[in-house]
Amino acid sequence: MEEIFVPALGMAMDNAMLLEWLKQPGDTVNAGDVVAVIETDKTTLDLPAETSGVLGKHRYAANEEVPAGNTIAVVLAPGEVE
Amino acid sequence: MSNLDKSTALSLLRQMMVIRDFEETADKLCLRGKVPGGMHNSSGQEAVAVGTLSAIAKDDVIATTHRSHHHTLAKGYSAKSVMAELFTKATGISHGRGGSMHLAEVTEGHFGGNGIVGAGVGIAMGAALGIQHIGDKKIAVGFVGDGGMNTGRTWESINMASIWKLPLIILVDNNQYAVETFVGRVTGGGDLAKRASGFGLPAYNIDGQDVLEVRKYVTEARERALAGEGPTFINALTYRYYGHNVGEKGQYRTQEEIAQWRTTQDPIDKFTGVVISSGFATQAEVDELRASVRKEIDEAVAYAESSPEPEIASITQGVDSGKLGVQL
Ligand SMILES: Cc1ncc(C[n+]2csc(CCOP(=O)(O)OP(=O)(O)O)c2C)c(N)n1
Ligand SMILES: [Mg+2]
Repeated sequence: MEEIFVPALGMAMDNAMLLEWLKQPGDTVNAGDVVAVIETDKTTLDLPAETSGVLGKHRYAANEEVPAGNTIAVVLAPGEVE
Repeated sequence: MSNLDKSTALSLLRQMMVIRDFEETADKLCLRGKVPGGMHNSSGQEAVAVGTLSAIAKDDVIATTHRSHHHTLAKGYSAKSVMAELFTKATGISHGRGGSMHLAEVTEGHFGGNGIVGAGVGIAMGAALGIQHIGDKKIAVGFVGDGGMNTGRTWESINMASIWKLPLIILVDNNQYAVETFVGRVTGGGDLAKRASGFGLPAYNIDGQDVLEVRKYVTEARERALAGEGPTFINALTYRYYGHNVGEKGQYRTQEEIAQWRTTQDPIDKFTGVVISSGFATQAEVDELRASVRKEIDEAVAYAESSPEPEIASITQGVDSGKLGVQL
């Protein structure tokens, strides 16, 4: 199970805004697919999956603030459950 | 390799594995927001650190750079105490004052990492001058990056070490990039050893992915320094696998280049080959070693997480020699 999370970047990054989900729960994702787009105080950032599988629940909604370091969704390998 | 015995070989291999696992683990924790201020990952550069530190004595002095976890672990500090410092906990090697970039224990000859590119050689040169003045039988090593090779203070320090025959080793941890700048693009004359030899000291370009080669050159340089013959310049060619700092999304080098170094020049893979072909360990024993390292790093993380923050009341400690009575 791969956790897709908001990376803590820079000296004092606290939160990011989840701008958009590009994959929905239950969607098949391939390694490299962008799953969500976030915005930090400096930049917008694509969050790609590093592994292939099926996307789990959205743990935050679009336009919600996510604390740096927090997981926003998981990618499930065959047979895994969230 | 004639004088390489089994326990030394396994210790060199294990130390490199500790550094690799430590860095990859800490990198992930950094992205999760557990390490304040970020860090500079030294994965790929293990042989430079372990080759150097295994060839000097415990009370020799080192001064290093912003990328110093590998030097610090190779000097013999535990993964626990270094990880705790990254978490800025009271149990860290700098008592939580330093964080990733200021690992230091000056009472034990670790004169620290620092944020000023090129400063390490100057600090070590000063230490070497002190050693010579006092007449101690020890030496100092100043680490510097390829980027630091183009700073004025580094060459001023090398010049002084040369004219005063100081017991100093200048060790270039040449990972070929200064943030996004390739060394070949900014090195006038192209050859760092040749540049250094103009200052009148022995200077070598060596393979920084070969722990035994680094160890051999540093051993010889230390003997020269102790014999009063002055400093030596060693430019160890290596490669960093990760970005300049954690989370960097660089466009300045290709994935193919990184893969090429990882698959053909990896210092741990190369030395594992030596260990196995010398009959010091089987592949299964190497795997066991790696598993024991994994456990050690997991324990280091647990230790760092559960350690206390420094006490506010202790904030004036370590600010001065302790004799000025600084108070809140
Ligand atoms: C005097 C100074 N100039 C610039 C910087 C910004 N800076 C931080 S790290 C770095 C690159 C250093 O490259 P190198 O010496 O090759 O070390 P590496 O990061 O590769 O270990 C720069 C330019 C600095 N910290 N200090
Ligand atoms: Mg460099």
